[in-house]
Amino acid sequence: MKIYEYVVRRLILMIFVLLGISILVFYLARGFPSGIAPWAAYITPKMTAQQIEEVKRIHGFDQPLHIQYFYWMRDILHGDWGRAGIWAQGRPVSEVLFSHFPYTVELSVAAMMITIAVGMPLGIISALKNNKLPDHVSRIIALTGYSTPSYWFGFMLQLVFFYYFRLWGLPNLPSSGASGMEGAVSWVTGMPVLDGLIAGNVQYTLDALRHLILPATSLAFISLGFLARIVRASMLEVMRQDYITLARSKGLRERVVIYRHALKNALIPAVTLAGIFFAWLLGGALITEFVFAWPGVGQLSLQAVSQGDSNFLLLYTLVIAAIIVIANLVVDIAYIFLDPRIKY
Amino acid sequence: MAKKTAEARTGEWAARWADIKYTFYLLRKNPLVMAGSIIAIFFVVLALLANFIVDPNLANPSGYPDFDGNYPFERKLVWNRDSIISWPGRIHLYEGPEQFLLGTDSWGRDLFKMIILALPVDMENAFIITVGAAAFGTLIGALAGYAGGVVDEAVLRITDIFLAFPALVLALVFAAMFGRTLSTLRYALLLVWWPPYVRLMRGQILGEKEKGYVEALRALGGGHIGILFRHILPNSIYPILVQATLDFGGVILTFSALMFLGFSPSPSLPELGNLAASGYEHIFEAPWLIVFPGLTMLIIALAFNLVGDGLRDVLDPKLRR
Amino acid sequence: MKERNRVLEIKDLKVNFHTYRGEVKALNGVNLNLYKREILGLVGESGCGKSVTALTVLGLLPENAYIEGGEILFRGEDLLKKSAGDIRLLRADELATVFQDPLTYLNPVLKIETQLVEVFMLDKKLLKQAVIAQKTHGKNVTFTDILSWKNDSVMESTNLKVSRGEVKKMAKDLCVDLLRLVKMPDAERILSQYPFELSGGMRQRAMIAMALARRPSLFIADEITTAVDVTIQAQILHLMRELRDKIDASTIMITHDLSVAAEIADRIAVMYGGNVVEVSSTVEIFRNPLHPYTKMLMKAIPNVKKPVKKLKSIPGTVPEMINPPSGCRFHPRCPFAMDKCKKERPKLLEAVEKHEVACYLIKG
Repeated sequence: MKIYEYVVRRLILMIFVLLGISILVFYLARGFPSGIAPWAAYITPKMTAQQIEEVKRIHGFDQPLHIQYFYWMRDILHGDWGRAGIWAQGRPVSEVLFSHFPYTVELSVAAMMITIAVGMPLGIISALKNNKLPDHVSRIIALTGYSTPSYWFGFMLQLVFFYYFRLWGLPNLPSSGASGMEGAVSWVTGMPVLDGLIAGNVQYTLDALRHLILPATSLAFISLGFLARIVRASMLEVMRQDYITLARSKGLRERVVIYRHALKNALIPAVTLAGIFFAWLLGGALITEFVFAWPGVGQLSLQAVSQGDSNFLLLYTLVIAAIIVIANLVVDIAYIFLDPRIKY
Repeated sequence: MAKKTAEARTGEWAARWADIKYTFYLLRKNPLVMAGSIIAIFFVVLALLANFIVDPNLANPSGYPDFDGNYPFERKLVWNRDSIISWPGRIHLYEGPEQFLLGTDSWGRDLFKMIILALPVDMENAFIITVGAAAFGTLIGALAGYAGGVVDEAVLRITDIFLAFPALVLALVFAAMFGRTLSTLRYALLLVWWPPYVRLMRGQILGEKEKGYVEALRALGGGHIGILFRHILPNSIYPILVQATLDFGGVILTFSALMFLGFSPSPSLPELGNLAASGYEHIFEAPWLIVFPGLTMLIIALAFNLVGDGLRDVLDPKLRR
Repeated sequence: MKERNRVLEIKDLKVNFHTYRGEVKALNGVNLNLYKREILGLVGESGCGKSVTALTVLGLLPENAYIEGGEILFRGEDLLKKSAGDIRLLRADELATVFQDPLTYLNPVLKIETQLVEVFMLDKKLLKQAVIAQKTHGKNVTFTDILSWKNDSVMESTNLKVSRGEVKKMAKDLCVDLLRLVKMPDAERILSQYPFELSGGMRQRAMIAMALARRPSLFIADEITTAVDVTIQAQILHLMRELRDKIDASTIMITHDLSVAAEIADRIAVMYGGNVVEVSSTVEIFRNPLHPYTKMLMKAIPNVKKPVKKLKSIPGTVPEMINPPSGCRFHPRCPFAMDKCKKERPKLLEAVEKHEVACYLIKG
């Protein structure tokens, strides 16, 4: 089938998966009375009891759970996801989520870049010098990254680069927040580094970068191990293939054999994984955001969970799930382009 | 007829045993795996003996003198004066008679002893969750893969739904909804951890089905369940084993992360993440509260990951000679 | 006279492989000679060491291989003593191989053009000369022209500048020409395709083209007819015969199929258990096989003209190479085995003129 047919088919499937997730989360969120009452999202403090009852009726809170679902569907199709609780100043949930989303994106992108820049060479070296010293060393590095508790590493970084550096009189990196100069630059993308670049404000950009380094490194350290392993395994398998023997028999230099013949084959699974990885990073940066007080959606979701704010959680989980499903689709499409053998 | 199958079976098991011996040979050649296994075994043994080495009552804050808001000042958040490690910055140094290897926490409990007490809690958790998730996921994956058709599709879709969640978020939501007991948290993590096994097992089953011996066994009159359990499962168990070993470390890390984020059933529970959580407030004055529990976790997870990683290398059918 | 025409001499080559279960003694003292412009058929069962011999000559043995002894003299120089870099240069210039299964031996994610052009691009000087020649003489330079240059070492004036684009285009044109030479249908279009889009026969031709592209003096074809069906087999053999006249190379044709060797080889060397046991011209081998193994092989070939009730096969199985039989490795299956055969391996000696055998029965 043609490629757009394939994409359309996958998008339709995605809708079904999202529906499934929404049902699951809806049931979890509304089915158990805990935390903020969901209708609190639609109520302002000044309403009378009668008005409150009216609001409840409009949004279907007096109905059984499965009927509530349809009321909810109707509401969200109108763009009304309800309001968050007091913890977010009662603002509409969608506004809260999307205003903080760019921060998470910035963090994830930065972490991804570090991961690829370090993880890939690590994996390639590991494969080429299999079972020799460089392999063992890079394996330990990779696995250590993989085994580190993310909050622990975040704290270590803070301890050394923020606290101790300051103590020892060295220039230190900030330990929290995304920017020390809030509001100095107009809001374009919501990501401090980019906004600084767009506005041409060098000082702001540098400051934003200084805030970005530690959390991004913390996040990256854990995922680069994973990437390195995948690249290594893939590279090892490729190097034993017959076509590598043929390439060598042609008298090509080993470097050419590796770069032209081996890498392209080996990187296909790694690249496709990177896509899924990125989506995962977006959703999983919770702890790092918490440790570094990074104003991203992860941190928000933690607050929402502890407050029991079901409306926020619903939107949050659905957004994350949608991103992951789309990332899967993008990765599959990339695979089709990279590997000419794939039939779809 | 029965004699023949018994012979055939011993032949099969003899071949499997030779295979296992070969696996161990390969493992022995890898120094990293050996190091990892030794460390892992060490910690398992330590965890088993923990409650005998250290008095479990030490974990209970109310057992300490003056626990009534008036903590014994000398013991709270202190570091040993004569310790080899010295921390920069303002920290309280203990000048009393007792020796705290790794300092104390905000209740005055000896951190070193708390870490030891935390080991069985964490290990037991990790074991239950890993084994549970692996068993459950493998079973479902096997059924899905073997049955094929609608069952397979349905299972795949459901698994996809679970896989679409970042593990932590789902676990958090679950924990928030159902309360903070140890068992709730365990269920939460179980829920999050089984989908990869489904995928793994299903992939294996599909691969085995291609191999034709399934058809042959069916032609000889083998029943579905028999074939599944006696033939397919033993052949497909390796990747599951690898994944479970790797997951062991992952579960410890995730579980402690949950504790750290504030979902622990009780703040005084000796658990590595919990210990670190209490250190969060005092991070710059008493860094040891986070450094050492985290380090312990790192070492344990690293050990298991080394073993699992080495195992994966060794069991990869394409890399075996 | 023989010595001047000798291209390759393998003397007493011994190669082992380290494996988990022990040392596999793959080559047990192989002796082989290859002369100019001949096609030597290297025949034997699977596992007798034919491919290992080829890989050793090329320097492409895997990591766990260990060369225990022997010499490989190519134009007087011992290949085994050369550095990896030198061997690589030889591979680029003189030694070419075609392997068995073109599907696994061609890189699936690279176009045919890429895989073919890269061979030409190894010798940029040649390409520059070709461009200059084309410009000076005004007509297109074909691959056959280049072939002839190998022996003449023609040097055109090199003060003309040649751009990279021109070099690349020349390489590409030569590719098309070369593909036509190996009878590839629709050569231009093939270049932009991927290996999996071609048929088995076409892939095999592409590999042969890649081998020919460097105008080799030694050509090793390792079971190139095994993975294709009989009709393609015939085509490829036909192609090899044609090419033999065009290119000035010596060929080692490795095969387990005696009939293929019969069709194309000038001389045949029979291998068994890591040794060469008999060498002679094709006609002579078929007419007068001397070694017991060869004799049994001949008898085992079914004859279309004289149908028999039962196919003759050689009793026993191929020797296990970790603990090979002592002395002559064929002795467990040989109906004429003597005591001497168990003790020491017979040397390859000339029994009849231009017919060497390694057997105590015949000589020694």
